Amino acid sequence: MRRRRGRKWVRLAKRIASHAVLIVAVLFALFPVYFIAITSFSKIPIASITAQVLIPKMSQLTLASYHAALYGQYPTFGMLLENSLIFAGSAAAIGMALAAFTGFALSKFNFPGRRSFVYFILIISLFPSFLLIIPYYFMFAKLGLIDSYPGLIIPYSAGAVVFSGILVKNYMDSIPDDIEEAALVDGLGRTGAFFRVLLPLCYPVLGLAAFLAFVGPYTDYALAHVFITSSGKETLALNLYSIATTDTGASNYGVVTAFAIVMSLPIVVFYIAFQRYIIGGLTLGAVRG
Amino acid sequence: MADLRDQTLGFRLRREWPAYIYLIPTTVVLLFLNAYPVAYTVYISMTDFGTGGRGSLLHYQYIGLGNYYRAILGSGGPTTLTLLENSLFWAAGSVALFLIVGLGLATVMNQELRGRAVYRTLILLPWAMPAFITILVWSNMWQYDYGIINELLATIGVRPIDWLGHASTAWTALFVTNLWLSFPFYTVVFLATMQAIPKDLYEAASIDGAGSFSRFRRITLPYLAPTIVFVGLMGFLFTFNNFYPIYLITSGGPGISTQIFITESYNKAFGSVGATPELSTAAVYSVIDFVIIVAITVVVIWRTDLTRNWLK
Repeated sequence: MRRRRGRKWVRLAKRIASHAVLIVAVLFALFPVYFIAITSFSKIPIASITAQVLIPKMSQLTLASYHAALYGQYPTFGMLLENSLIFAGSAAAIGMALAAFTGFALSKFNFPGRRSFVYFILIISLFPSFLLIIPYYFMFAKLGLIDSYPGLIIPYSAGAVVFSGILVKNYMDSIPDDIEEAALVDGLGRTGAFFRVLLPLCYPVLGLAAFLAFVGPYTDYALAHVFITSSGKETLALNLYSIATTDTGASNYGVVTAFAIVMSLPIVVFYIAFQRYIIGGLTLGAVRG
Repeated sequence: MADLRDQTLGFRLRREWPAYIYLIPTTVVLLFLNAYPVAYTVYISMTDFGTGGRGSLLHYQYIGLGNYYRAILGSGGPTTLTLLENSLFWAAGSVALFLIVGLGLATVMNQELRGRAVYRTLILLPWAMPAFITILVWSNMWQYDYGIINELLATIGVRPIDWLGHASTAWTALFVTNLWLSFPFYTVVFLATMQAIPKDLYEAASIDGAGSFSRFRRITLPYLAPTIVFVGLMGFLFTFNNFYPIYLITSGGPGISTQIFITESYNKAFGSVGATPELSTAAVYSVIDFVIIVAITVVVIWRTDLTRNWLK
């Protein structure tokens, strides 16, 4: 009897401790997000931020920072967004197509040299992408593509191709060969079976491949910083960097955070909506999220 | 018989040749945007590009392995050694943190607990924000004069800390930021793996009198081992070359005490406005970085069977 009561106390203590640990983890995870959100609604110069900003009075809340972030500067948010969408959108479309072809070839064909090809693309993709910028600069300068749309879209398209190719391959592996064979029996060639039968079954993974190929360029600073020299092609990420790190921007931190929130919003929504799927994809099928 | 015929090269080629057509676009892209640039980097690393003292970028010449000799054994040796130590410390330290915190939180979440789904969602929320943006915010949060972290510490009476002014506190800032960026992912991945372990195993072990620690060690850990190795390696490779946290928060400072290969290489090439970019030095660091990464990957893949699924 006494022993059982003792176990009950242990269980209760364990449960309280578990909640305590998780609450600390959640506070740590959410604090910066809360800080960004609250700063974006309070009009406050950076130099006078104190901990009091975290518990704002209703009267201090304002949408002025959002107005300033969207309309208050030139180039406007809309122009920057348009550039970002051109770069990242093109990269996503090309990257997705490359991933689809690669995944199909690796999954449904047992061609001579397949193993060597996989090792080749794995090793080559280990070279850090940030360090490719150095040779890129000279290659694209020779081609006259610095500060042009293709000059950025081409390297962006290749950014996620190896990873996405393997992602699509894993997904296609899970589609039974019978489906492709049935299409062949019905008179479609192998190409027809790929475009008409296999590809539609792969829309989810192709969507993920496109998303991953989009996020990189959308938030790229390192390559764009070197490749873009005219303000007409400036992207959201470049502009965020400059307003976050220059004095004029820092003097009203609300604008920086409002800009950051509007820029992240589409990405955040997508991530949260498809989180299980994305986590499964990011571990290349090693884990189901 | 049919099996034997399947194996012959000619037969396979005749049946499987369309694969090569499908691989053409990707191969062209990889040759032009990966293989050639890597070879070009190796070539640049063997020239006096930017260090030749001729004052013009267009006049450079092949000088063999001189840059490597200088960077490893000569005057650049101490810097290269610091970069190597920092890169390894940054990657290994971060991954250790990810694994400890991820496994710990996943273990806590892997029990019947009210609100478990809510915790999971809230922990994952910040992970959904683009890293480049949140790192910019973190770099502001660590500021000495007006950073919110010092302001928060002030409310409990701690004097402002010059986080980015000293090597040890700068590393602390980097590791905390990096942990924040990654622990949601690791927690959720480990939790998912734990939840896939058959429940009867635990019940059988309990009946046999195994305590919770021994159940963790004998059942949970062996089941988790492949996932730990996989995400551990991926995390290491990713962090070793994770550019933005260091570039945006410490810029490698103070001095070069938090500088790693990738940030130093970028700085040498594009860092100083107006100055002649030291491209050959940048290329040398790129190549050293690449060799280390490939060596680590090859050893891990050779010792485990990580790529089995990809080659199946």
